Amino acid sequence: MGFKVNFSKSNKERFYLPGQEIKISRAAISRKSYMTESDNVLTCRFRTTLALCGFAFIYALLCFRVSYVCLGKGINIDTAIVNEQMADDEVIRFKNPVKRADILDRNGEIIATSLPTVNLYANTKQIKNAEDVAEKLNLIFPEISYEDLLRKLQRRSAFIYLKRNLSPAQQMQVNNLGIPGLEFENCEKRIYPHKNLFAHVLGNTNIDNVGISGVEKTMDERLTTSTKPLSLSLDLGIQNTIRDALVEGVKQFNAEGAAAILMEAKTGQVIALTSVPDFDPNENLKVEDRAMFNFATKGVYEAGSVFKVFNTALCLESGKVKVTDRFDTSKPVYFGKAKVTDPHGSHKMLSPEDILVESSNIGSTLEILKVGKDFQRKFLQSINMDKELAAFELPETARPLFLSKQRWSNHTMATISYGYGISTTPLHIISAFSAVINGGMYHEPSLVYKKPHEGKRVVSEKTSEHMRTLLRAVVTRGTGRRANVDGYQVMGKTGTADKLENGHYNHKKSISTFVSGFPESNPQYTLIVVMDDPKASKETYGYTTAGWNAVPITRNIITAVAPQLNVSVDFDIEKQKSIVNAAYKK
Amino acid sequence: MRSIRMAMVILWLTLTLTVAFGSSVLKNRVQVLERRLAAINTNIQKDIEGIHVLKAEWSHFNTPERLRTLAQNQLSLESAKPEQIINYSALQFNYEDSQNVNRNALKHKNLTTLVKAVKK
Repeated sequence: MGFKVNFSKSNKERFYLPGQEIKISRAAISRKSYMTESDNVLTCRFRTTLALCGFAFIYALLCFRVSYVCLGKGINIDTAIVNEQMADDEVIRFKNPVKRADILDRNGEIIATSLPTVNLYANTKQIKNAEDVAEKLNLIFPEISYEDLLRKLQRRSAFIYLKRNLSPAQQMQVNNLGIPGLEFENCEKRIYPHKNLFAHVLGNTNIDNVGISGVEKTMDERLTTSTKPLSLSLDLGIQNTIRDALVEGVKQFNAEGAAAILMEAKTGQVIALTSVPDFDPNENLKVEDRAMFNFATKGVYEAGSVFKVFNTALCLESGKVKVTDRFDTSKPVYFGKAKVTDPHGSHKMLSPEDILVESSNIGSTLEILKVGKDFQRKFLQSINMDKELAAFELPETARPLFLSKQRWSNHTMATISYGYGISTTPLHIISAFSAVINGGMYHEPSLVYKKPHEGKRVVSEKTSEHMRTLLRAVVTRGTGRRANVDGYQVMGKTGTADKLENGHYNHKKSISTFVSGFPESNPQYTLIVVMDDPKASKETYGYTTAGWNAVPITRNIITAVAPQLNVSVDFDIEKQKSIVNAAYKK
Repeated sequence: MRSIRMAMVILWLTLTLTVAFGSSVLKNRVQVLERRLAAINTNIQKDIEGIHVLKAEWSHFNTPERLRTLAQNQLSLESAKPEQIINYSALQFNYEDSQNVNRNALKHKNLTTLVKAVKK
């Protein structure tokens, strides 16, 4: 930074001698046009003062604000804005500490939940007197022996479980002992408030809360990745009614077990699924294998005459058999040495309706002989009788025993027409039965409450309509008479088959089945009741067929659940009017 | 010049002390609020846990078995039977149409009491 001097014109023109002083007047130096060292300092001072004033002002403002906030009313917070921010902020949201999601029924009732508990573990390196600690803990947990506790406490380890899932009272007692080395670990325990009621559907979890059977196993990932409850299509009240009826039936008929499924005929959604004997999933006790076995979905058996429903449907669907046809059932049908007879005695000319009503094996055989085995096989495949229902939300499903094409002889074709030679599960039967009566649409059975899918057509609406009429006749004048609940137009078919034991039929043991639907005019629900080895009694006049055990149980169930399901009653209007009049005239 | 410097020092000291004091009070207040927030959060968490346990308890008390026993013992209620459910069209008057109610009431004097109840 230099400086320059403005010479006036007169100065420029003036001549100076060597050594002569050049005189510059003070006025000739312009403050604006040049700077000196002394002016620089001034500028710095000026700027510093300015900055200091600025800082002082900001400092004063800060001071005022702090004083205002501390001594005054504080900061006014707009709650609306804060709430809006909180709604968007994921961090502020509180999450349920329980990690495994609840399971609900279709009405939102909890059927499985988890409770936060604690596990007690020991860091034995910190425990000085193991005998004393074992003795004290034994008083709190009398179910664990002193020796067991001592053995665990004498091991040198930083982590040994002593007791899982402590109650709050037990936790407090252990805390009160104040023993260093006894620690708690947070965990959760799966609880089934309805005990045995949903045992076979829900299944169970292991000690680490991982699903090991039932819905708990199938939906394990869903239940652990989202805390949103899982809604099933089951109905708590209906399930209870059906289980009670089955338990009573097993007791009454001294059966080995029983199973039942109630399904929405037009969606395939399961409303109740039960199999007895069952178990309490809350208890970690060993139960017998039969109680752990879900017969409703895993029980593969020959259903007997129930298959006549599918036989009649496929024969009508083929167009080769008509409802007006007549079949001569007075003589047995022979296939080489084997012959097909009727257990209820011979009849003469039977229509398809009579064949179902009388449950004629000969009639069914004659029907299928007109249609042929290829159509029969294809039809049974279309209603999933050849495959496991893998999409069903239970791991306990089974593959039916479906013969290969090579082994599908004419005799096999005949026996399958009345339910022998093909083994399947109650779940397969009820799903196929729903399709036959609901207008012809097959829906995959499902346990999870969701939007129903369209389904696939397996029989025409006309065939389905015929089938409803025929099945209604079975209940009004056939083997299903005892299930005729007034007002609900029940339709159905019975089936009793000898039990297959070690590859041989045991004629003293049978499995009886009654598959039904209601009401005939607008089929809404289907029900299957299976009794495993029911015994004859005085009340059944020595019979063990389905008409004497599975059918009355079905009647009890429909009587109780139909009003709960809000199925409209179809009483005779005139009869109802007279009831109303009689009631008010009293 | 000296007095100005003195004034400046005093000003700066005052400001600094005020800000320091204010900050301290503010920090203290924030800490108090944070402690309150933590306590509230803990309570909310406990409440969520408590509600979860109560829901389980509610479900336990709502078992159909227990409700049926209570309904039978306390209310003398039984399950509805199919024959107890009457079709709407079987009723001889229309509840919704008041004119019809009156007309039918005249026709059926024995229903007058019921009609009065409906009109109320």
